[in-house]
Amino acid sequence: MAEDIFIACKDVSIGYRDRTAPAVEVKANIHLRALKGEMVALIGGNGVGKSTLLKTLAGFQPPLSGQLLIHNRPATEFTAAELAREMSFVSTEVVRAARLTVRELVGLGRYPYTDWFGQLTEKDREIIGKAIHDVGLSGYEERLVSRISDGERQRAMIARALAQDTQILVLDEPTAFLDISNKYEIVSILHRLVNQQGKCIIFSTHDLHTALSMADRIWLMLEGEVVEGIPEEIAAQGYFDALFPKNQQLKFDLEKGDFSLNREPIGTVALSANGSDWAMVARVMERLGFATKRVKPVQVPHPINEILKPISPSENKILLGGSSGKGNPLGEIYVTQIKNGWLISYPGFSLEAESLEALCRILKQLMLLPGS
Amino acid sequence: MVHFRFLREAEFFLLVVVLCIFFLFDLLAGSVPVTLSQSLTALFHPSAADPQLAAILFQFRLPKAVTAVMAGAALSVAGLQMQTIFRNPVAGPDILGISSGSSLGVALFVLSAGWIFKGIPLFSMAGSWGIVLAAWLGAGLMMALVVLLAARLRDLMTVLILGILISSAILAVVSVLQYFSSESSLKSFIVWTMGSLGSTTRDQLWVLVPAVMTGLFLAFLSSKFLDAFLLGENYAKSMGMNLRMAYWLTFASTSILAGSVTAFCGPIGFVGIIVPHLARKYFHSSLHSRLIPGTLLLGAVVMLAGDLISQIPGYEVTLPINSVTSLLGIPLVVWIIFQNKKIGAI
Repeated sequence: MAEDIFIACKDVSIGYRDRTAPAVEVKANIHLRALKGEMVALIGGNGVGKSTLLKTLAGFQPPLSGQLLIHNRPATEFTAAELAREMSFVSTEVVRAARLTVRELVGLGRYPYTDWFGQLTEKDREIIGKAIHDVGLSGYEERLVSRISDGERQRAMIARALAQDTQILVLDEPTAFLDISNKYEIVSILHRLVNQQGKCIIFSTHDLHTALSMADRIWLMLEGEVVEGIPEEIAAQGYFDALFPKNQQLKFDLEKGDFSLNREPIGTVALSANGSDWAMVARVMERLGFATKRVKPVQVPHPINEILKPISPSENKILLGGSSGKGNPLGEIYVTQIKNGWLISYPGFSLEAESLEALCRILKQLMLLPGS
Repeated sequence: MVHFRFLREAEFFLLVVVLCIFFLFDLLAGSVPVTLSQSLTALFHPSAADPQLAAILFQFRLPKAVTAVMAGAALSVAGLQMQTIFRNPVAGPDILGISSGSSLGVALFVLSAGWIFKGIPLFSMAGSWGIVLAAWLGAGLMMALVVLLAARLRDLMTVLILGILISSAILAVVSVLQYFSSESSLKSFIVWTMGSLGSTTRDQLWVLVPAVMTGLFLAFLSSKFLDAFLLGENYAKSMGMNLRMAYWLTFASTSILAGSVTAFCGPIGFVGIIVPHLARKYFHSSLHSRLIPGTLLLGAVVMLAGDLISQIPGYEVTLPINSVTSLLGIPLVVWIIFQNKKIGAI
């Protein structure tokens, strides 16, 4: 087991040293591990020290105190050249070289293995080709790095790290600024590398959903402490709620695996709909700020006095003003799926909406009524 | 070992041919007309040539052409290294004040030579080495200062502006030095500031050529480091680069290259900025194993062209080389900035 621990932080404190000023400590008492064949997601709010931790791991700055072990050997014992064969790094920095092809960029990854003049051998070329293939950029070898899309460039940067042929890959926000499809691509490439080649990949991200569904281990940097564990454990122990302590409305939803805004509902909707439609309409209600409860279709308690009558605020003023002062100002609203649309009934009136969009509009208008 | 495979490529071959043609033309151009056959006779059968023509060729035109080749190659390669190290497309020995640093070095040497180095005549071999060493020191100190600033500030534009400011400050110091120096040393210094490609003597070439060769050799040694620098300092470090060695090597190389040329030819602007861009375009590459030899050749060609232009055919006068390179160079710098839209790509 011990040889499977690729990275271990023992009581590490990270920060910046300055020759003239006292060292600035960003985070202390860090105990973390990363094992062979694991994908580790580093999560934390802005400014909590994620980049500092990654830079410390990558050897750009030494830990202020504590022990950082790489392959069970203190990181301080590695020379830069030795470390480059154990760990590669992908940063958020933009490559500025205007006339560098994808193949040349990936070839730079062979730096720790080539001679003084950087001449590539046949074996180097093979490894470069394989790295390009592994990230799905075959056919892009001669394209200029400055002329490919952001997603392709990020894949090329990962290929460069792969060409460095290291067991550990450290990536600083590899999916930032990418669209969903590219994000998914990048994460699945990393996932494949972990599961097929037994690499250990550590990446920082703000995308909690991806981290929870793909990572084997979470490093969670909170304001006060740094915790680690498998995603389900971290979530179940309620640590994610501590991620944004200043924002009381932001609550972690275990089922959805993501944060949602925890707002006081402005009213309750008793919803009856087909099984497949129910969930969708419930989501619509949640977005509008209503709590939803499930009722049987037949329950329409309020008399339908006039159907298809558009709401005008003046007409319903007295009606809505009658609701009790405390609690939900709007009271309970019934929404029932009917043959050609939706029936909205409220004490004293009913309305028919021919589409879901119309339903939304009517509810919005209800919210804007002076009585509410 | 350095592989000279690149010489077999068409682009390089063409450039070498162009270089030879320009070199020959540079021998022919001047106030005294010399034909191609006369110059070839003088070069290859000195005994059969007209002694007066041979003297013109060997005493004046050949040293001048060799100086042009050296200056062009040296300034361009120094510019290439600086653009990569600072990741700044408009970096160059003149813009960042490396050239004015060497001017200060030379000024201190020449103006103090009057009373400290009384025994050394300025235009002797020892005097030449003294000037060159002073220029190297000035360039090296200035380079160190710029690197310190760049590490602190990180912002490309700010570093450029500071470079220009410091360079003006240094030139002001040089003026003050002139004011306080003795008449005789001032005279030698003024002669130096009017330096041009043509003022290099054959003796001075024995200093300039080995110095530039050393600088170019160091540049060749630094090509792998420079490639890694293309991705930025962090990536370079993460690939196991010995940062200190890389900096020292490029420091030494750029200081020697820019310092030596400034020592003998005075400040020559814009060649160091322009040629690396032309080389990247011509060779379709950002990798330094190709760019360093490419920039070297192209720099030599450009400087020979500049020298040819400076000797307006049919006139006795020669324009100062610095004016020619500036007049031709500034529009090209503007073009580079417009091409990049914003300052960013190298």
